[in-house]
Amino acid sequence: MMKIDDPLGRQIDALLEEGAHQGHPLHAALTELYTRYVEQSRQIDRISHIADRYQNAERERGQGYAANYQRKLRQLEKIVRISDQYQHMLRDVNDRLQWLSSRDELTGLPNRRFMLALLGEQLRKLAKGGAPVCVAMADIDHFKAINDTYGHDAGDKVLAALGELFRHNLRAEDVCGRWGGEEFLIVLPGADLESSTITLARLRALVSALPGPVEGERFRLSLSIGLVCGTDAGEAPDQLLKRVDGALYAAKRQGRDRTVIA
Amino acid sequence: MRDLIVAGTDSIPAVKADWASGLLEMTGDSYPENAFELYQPVIDWIEAYLAADRRPLNLRLTLLYLNTSSIRALIDILDLLETAHQGDRAVGVVWLYEPDNEGVANLAEEFREDYTFPFEVVAQDR
Repeated sequence: MMKIDDPLGRQIDALLEEGAHQGHPLHAALTELYTRYVEQSRQIDRISHIADRYQNAERERGQGYAANYQRKLRQLEKIVRISDQYQHMLRDVNDRLQWLSSRDELTGLPNRRFMLALLGEQLRKLAKGGAPVCVAMADIDHFKAINDTYGHDAGDKVLAALGELFRHNLRAEDVCGRWGGEEFLIVLPGADLESSTITLARLRALVSALPGPVEGERFRLSLSIGLVCGTDAGEAPDQLLKRVDGALYAAKRQGRDRTVIA
Repeated sequence: MRDLIVAGTDSIPAVKADWASGLLEMTGDSYPENAFELYQPVIDWIEAYLAADRRPLNLRLTLLYLNTSSIRALIDILDLLETAHQGDRAVGVVWLYEPDNEGVANLAEEFREDYTFPFEVVAQDR
């Protein structure tokens, strides 16, 4: 608490105590005034002290809030980062599943569903004035005999070998898929009759050079192929496939190991 | 406190918290409709275990896919472990993943960031 000095440099409470001033007419009034002043000073001190404590507490609380906010923000950033990464992982898994669902397991070639979608897409492009497309259906001759004679494992081996051959011996834009059983559908976008015939002749030559299903046994593999080049704009995949099938059966009827053009 | 057992489903990981051994295991995918419902009992169990005495706590996680609320809950759990570790409590996490699923290992590494307690990411033998 503050002490008030009189003009002579002496403290008022000490002066009021001195005997020389006790009888002074203003002594009682001064004493009361001074006592009230002292009490008020004490109260002001107390209030200031409490106010300071409040301020300190507020500041600490504010710092606590800030720290907590920073921590929550860091946590949120971490959650977002991890969540994004999970989404990438899911997308990869999804892509992989989609790829797998469009493949034929045995040959590694696109499956029937994929080929049907591709054919539909090609025909839509053609209808909008896109490049022409040739479509071929190839069937392994006497495949049943391979299965019956050497067993299904041997038959599977032949199918896998053909898948490998088709994958590596077509133009980048051509797509060969396993249509089912021993049938393969080949879509040749932008090809004409001449180039398609050459491509298919080459494939048939390569197939005939493949080793038979069983080592040491002579078995010449061959393909019968139906080919359609040039489609009417607006032709549905079903119609086109029917024509390709017709050509393929004609190839079979004519003695196999050949390409017949529809 | 009793053991905590939650049977796993396609969207909920199997949870097995063993009070006697101080081992909490979570296995599977986690994309529940209500992550709070699934993880609050787990958080309660951990808090009770950590408050009960000074025995070590170990987490064995074999988690695959986690949705965002599950990620948040798991971070809350790992934060609890970090606080316990700061208080000199023995805690640890082992996160197991299939060797051909590197994506999960990378995610476990992301979770591990910022924590100072032992946190191992281990390829699981099949």
